[in-house]
Amino acid sequence: MLDVREVVKHYPVGDGEPVLAIDRVSLTVAPGELVALYGPSGSGKTTLLMLIAALLRPDSGAVFIDGRDVSRLSDREGARYRLVELGFVRQSLTLIPGASVLDNASLKLMGMDLSAGEAHRRVMPLIERLGLGARLGHSSEQLSMGERQRVMVARALSTDPKLLLADEPTGNLDSTRGDEVLSLLAEICRERRAAVLLVTHDPRAAMHADRVHTLRDGRLVEHRPDQMAASAGAE
Amino acid sequence: MKLSNIVRLYRVRLRTRLVQELFAVLGIAVGVALLFASQVASTSLDGSVRQITTGIVGQMRFQLVARAPEGFDQRLLGDVVRLPGVRNAIPVLEERVNMVGHRGAATVDLLGTDPRFAGLGGPLVRSFAYARLAELSALAVPAPIAQAVGVSSLRPVQLQIGAHVQTALVGTTLSAGDIGALVDSPIAVGPLRYIQHLTGMSGRLTSIFVDCRPGADALVLAGLTRLAAGSLNVRPADFDATLFSQAAGPTNQSTLLFATISALVGFLFAFNAMLLTVPQRRNLVEDLRLDGFSAWMIVRFLLFDALVLGVIASLAGLLLGDVLSLGLFDANPGYLSLGFPVGSQRIVTWQSVAIAVGGGMAAACIGVLAPLKREISSPLAIAFTTPPRIKGRRVWAFAIGLACLLATTAILFAAPRAAIAGIVSLIAALLLLLPATLAGVLAAFDRLRRAFSGVSPYLAVIELRSNANSARALAIAATGAIAVFGSVAIEGAHRNLQQGLDHLVHQLNAPADLWVIPPGAQNLLATTPFHTISTSAIARVSGVTAVEPLRASLLDYESRRVWVLAPPDGAPDPIPPSQLVSGNLATAAARLHAGGWAVISQALASEHHLRIGQSFQLPSPRIGTFRVAALITNLGWPPGAVILGSADYARAWRSGNPSAYYVRLAPGTATAQARLAVQRALARQSGLGVETSAQRERRQRSASRQGLQRLTEISSLVLIAAVMAMAAAMGSMILQRRRHLADMKVDGFRRGELWRALLLESALLLGTGCSLGAGFGIYGQLLLSHALATVTGFPVVFSADASTALSSFLIVTAVAVAIVAIPGHLAARVRPAISLQD
Repeated sequence: MLDVREVVKHYPVGDGEPVLAIDRVSLTVAPGELVALYGPSGSGKTTLLMLIAALLRPDSGAVFIDGRDVSRLSDREGARYRLVELGFVRQSLTLIPGASVLDNASLKLMGMDLSAGEAHRRVMPLIERLGLGARLGHSSEQLSMGERQRVMVARALSTDPKLLLADEPTGNLDSTRGDEVLSLLAEICRERRAAVLLVTHDPRAAMHADRVHTLRDGRLVEHRPDQMAASAGAE
Repeated sequence: MKLSNIVRLYRVRLRTRLVQELFAVLGIAVGVALLFASQVASTSLDGSVRQITTGIVGQMRFQLVARAPEGFDQRLLGDVVRLPGVRNAIPVLEERVNMVGHRGAATVDLLGTDPRFAGLGGPLVRSFAYARLAELSALAVPAPIAQAVGVSSLRPVQLQIGAHVQTALVGTTLSAGDIGALVDSPIAVGPLRYIQHLTGMSGRLTSIFVDCRPGADALVLAGLTRLAAGSLNVRPADFDATLFSQAAGPTNQSTLLFATISALVGFLFAFNAMLLTVPQRRNLVEDLRLDGFSAWMIVRFLLFDALVLGVIASLAGLLLGDVLSLGLFDANPGYLSLGFPVGSQRIVTWQSVAIAVGGGMAAACIGVLAPLKREISSPLAIAFTTPPRIKGRRVWAFAIGLACLLATTAILFAAPRAAIAGIVSLIAALLLLLPATLAGVLAAFDRLRRAFSGVSPYLAVIELRSNANSARALAIAATGAIAVFGSVAIEGAHRNLQQGLDHLVHQLNAPADLWVIPPGAQNLLATTPFHTISTSAIARVSGVTAVEPLRASLLDYESRRVWVLAPPDGAPDPIPPSQLVSGNLATAAARLHAGGWAVISQALASEHHLRIGQSFQLPSPRIGTFRVAALITNLGWPPGAVILGSADYARAWRSGNPSAYYVRLAPGTATAQARLAVQRALARQSGLGVETSAQRERRQRSASRQGLQRLTEISSLVLIAAVMAMAAAMGSMILQRRRHLADMKVDGFRRGELWRALLLESALLLGTGCSLGAGFGIYGQLLLSHALATVTGFPVVFSADASTALSSFLIVTAVAVAIVAIPGHLAARVRPAISLQD
């Protein structure tokens, strides 16, 4: 499903030498598989996500989704790819102010030219599943952090994407709420056979992952999930 | 995304930013209103004169028109009708008179035509059929004029015609149903014979309107030119409207310029309000882009915001503009009605609506899209992660601003005709230099505050330098800058012009102690000739030393209706000294006295490429050839003026009729008593009035002020809008920072310190913007005054008045800071606990 091959990315820094952010990284994620990606700040995690989301172009290497190279898409094609084939759960919990849970979760479907009614109908089961059924009409300001994160998950999954990218989805949540969100995310994605790449600092995320990688100085190292889970338990 | 979805999401988002959107609506509405009202004022002025022309002539093609009020022999009508290619011809006698009823007096155009041609003319002439005036010796008067003067059907009315007073019969009053929009025109219509009888011009006409057979225009024109024989004018039928457009040009231009400045302030008002919602819209754009919405989809999303905002604001603006055009913009510039029949109708054209609505929609689109340009168009990875390079942009803005300032200076000295372009480049320079000026002020303040203890100045500088606030801070400062600039430039130029006109009026009236002249508002320039009277009775009045005729009239000189005057030979200053632009005063006066020379306005000389000493032909009733003795201003009459020697005038007009008498008194004579004595001496010629030069001066000053009053009102409105805009934007910006202020309280800062910091921040921002605006305003005042003097030839006194600049700066800054103190105080009282809440 996701196949990242030998990707290299430098960042220009002022007038000096460009900084190597991603160094010949290769990574695959199969349908229904959840891969967790760890790494300290500045290790290149977010850069890798942006490369996969076609928000950045690699200096060399390529990113394939179902065999299609998405690293050379035009702006317009990249936007279409993110709208239809990709789900992106961000750390920031910025929902449309004033809009209800239903409208916020249906946003991507509305962007695909579905009527509001049809978009709502399609996203309803997902909202129920994420435990927001009783909060349908509530606006974003009336929701807790955990509920807002679940709305973001619902929006990301609403188009039934092949690949879900999650950037620190538990960063704003306490451990209980974080676990809830991760469990739901893993469960739903396995059911839907969506590939998930989860970027996190949270060692507990490893418990939900099939594979675990660490990104350090732009290079990828694979670990066994139980090692990370053990370190999470030790904390 | 489907439109229905865009509408749905717009509706839900609106709930959280209703107040900010209302501010934006208000701002754009103010701009649209000012633009619309000024457009309506301009089109109404031009249109009212055009309507009268069309009302008389309908679809006629040409007119044969007299060059002097005495007109021409009506037997010429027969020759015109017999010209090959002529289909119809309408005879007209037109005279400007003063209609006096029991409620008051009004200047009207007295129009006489032959009822037999009623079916051929415009609605005014056709009204004969309704009114059955053809069989009566009576006038038809529009109902509003009749009401204002206090006359009604089948009742007599007094007409002041030249030096005579006649009693006429009002046959009927005309309603809007009879003559449409012409009902608001200052006119009175009657059968030709009756009007000839009233005016003492039996057998005379002032014009003949001609309709041509298809394809015969050239043939008819040639025939008319032959009949005119160099002593009549042949013009397009609606030529009066062209003459009026030229005369009203400076008024319309100045109104439009000031309204544009006002609209700019209105737009900045709206822009400030919209900047309050930028953080929300920025988050939305980021989210949508990450979720795969293309730039075009996002632009459509935002354009819908702009569309709703623009439509609502434009509608509100049109309504407000309608009110303004009835109140603030309703007064006609009084001096124009001295030469043209300017009505009080309001003419709203689709172009006026389109310009105003177009401006409103553009403001809404720019206001919504411009602050998010980078977020929409830059690659996503850069747009939301890399801060904009403010310093680099500021340097560029400064360089371009300096270039604009240089361009303005070049226009001031080398091309004053391009004054509008000069003002535009000056405004651009002001806005472009503002960021660097603000940064400079902050740097200076930062150095200064180190000498003092206290944390408030430090906090104020940090906040103003933060990226998060910079766009909003600049927009607020720009609002103050533009408003103060507009106000200082407008009010300063107004004052310079008013002082120039006041000097002129004094010098025009000073040569006589008393004026014997046909009364009435229409005769303020003394352009109504009357038959010579015996002046011996006046000369015998005690204290009178001289009684001399002044000859003057309005003359159509190509596209200008110029004021021609011939002071008495004995007048000490035949040329008002302060009005001389080029030439020698004594030489020019001597040449006028000698004959064959004329003193003309600089604008006329420029138009005809004339220099002192060169000769030109004046299209007077008998064409005269004159040499240019000197150049003068336009003597306050926009189309320009010509001064001739008294004998030359009489020859060129084939008439020695005066339009006023100068009466000079011996030193020490009581003017008021002499005036009464002269009035008694005139008893048998009761149509003439007597005024002291002081009375006349007051009337003329009042007329010139009436035309300029609108400018003062607009500039006050600009200042009020700016104070509201800045206070609202600054207040909202402060209130939005409550969370941040709570954080600072958690860090140990006290309420008083925070409040003082907020006040300092406001004062620095508003003070910088307003003081820069005041400085540029003085430059704008010079530019506008220079343009008025060189382009239109108005008598302008040049002065850079710092008092207007200082007072505008102080008023706007002080009032806005005082208003901001309230939200500042409320925000500084925020509970620290808010900082710790979700």
